[in-house]
Amino acid sequence: MTFAQFNRRLHLYLGLSLLPWSFMYAVSSVPFAHNQYFDALDAAKRLPLWALRSERTLDTGVPDDPDALRRFGARLLKDAGIENTSFGVYRQSPTQVNVYSYSFWKSTQLKYFIDQKRLTVEDRRFRWDHFLTGMHARGGFEQEGFLQLSWSVMVDAVCVGMLLWVASGLYMWWGLGGHRRWGLLAILSGMASFVLFTVLL
Amino acid sequence: MYVALFLFPWILMYAASTLVMNHRAFFTARYGTGPVPFENERELVYDGVFPEQADLKMISTQILTSFGLDGAHSVTRRNDGAIVINRNDLLTPRRLTYSPTDHTLRIERLQPRPNAFLERFHRRRGYTTGYRADTTWAVSVDLVLAAMMFWVLSGLWMWWEMKVTRLFGLVSLLGGAGLFAMYLLTL
Repeated sequence: MTFAQFNRRLHLYLGLSLLPWSFMYAVSSVPFAHNQYFDALDAAKRLPLWALRSERTLDTGVPDDPDALRRFGARLLKDAGIENTSFGVYRQSPTQVNVYSYSFWKSTQLKYFIDQKRLTVEDRRFRWDHFLTGMHARGGFEQEGFLQLSWSVMVDAVCVGMLLWVASGLYMWWGLGGHRRWGLLAILSGMASFVLFTVLL
Repeated sequence: MYVALFLFPWILMYAASTLVMNHRAFFTARYGTGPVPFENERELVYDGVFPEQADLKMISTQILTSFGLDGAHSVTRRNDGAIVINRNDLLTPRRLTYSPTDHTLRIERLQPRPNAFLERFHRRRGYTTGYRADTTWAVSVDLVLAAMMFWVLSGLWMWWEMKVTRLFGLVSLLGGAGLFAMYLLTL
């Protein structure tokens, strides 16, 4: 197999195997780029985004150490029957701790009001635009669990795949003698526009 | 092909910035937690006069224009009356704080960090700033999205047209789709 053949196959099979991610990132960028349109569409429904699932009294200390705070959040989630999801724990204010649990299909928010010794559990109403943007924004290696981490590895793989896709595409274009002049024009005008944006924005 | 060649800097930027965001912990370890700090650029007395009924947007635009910094920005008035302008410059974001009582103006800029720059680039979008450069950028972002969807569909068609690659292509396609479906169901 020649390098040109290898390059063509890499371009093709890489594209096919990462196709769901490419399509997802493209489609999910639409609600990011036009979020005001989607927000207005949803606001017209006049439905609350969060629905109270439960509320109870809870008297417990809140740790200051970030790792201990994360364990504290995991314990609150477990008590609420939520396990194996991605989550974050934030000190909303000196008297409030928020735990945000997230999966592709469902998001839940726990709020612990320290001074009132009160814990609320709220579920977020499903929205397709949030489903897409949530999938788009998912990544990072801060979460525990094999599946969570493997998704982040796939995000890396998609990025490397895109870089390889660009490189192999450029090599393939260079091999097409008849397209060199117009291709070079496209590359140079694209680069010039990009640099212009970088300076002007 | 020509659209792909034209848009390849955008694809490189989105790939590199996604890598950076996916490995945020690495940069947090390097630079520390919390937002990127501002550093003082200059402090001066601003003696410009504003129209009597000038709102915050008019004031901020006038100040920015005076220093050749006009562009996408947000503006707020603090409780002490000071006007804070955040100029969302892609390369060097700045914060300008104008105090109407003594007419002092402090200009600060964000410390330069490559990861923050790439992240700003990745997140730049939308048609609401009212500045032509931003609107044109938003159009280019939409063009990238449309092109990506087109590449997916045209790639599928081109693969199907090449009979010799159908079998391995189908394996690649089903493998990727299966993995993606598994994540959809479990994460």
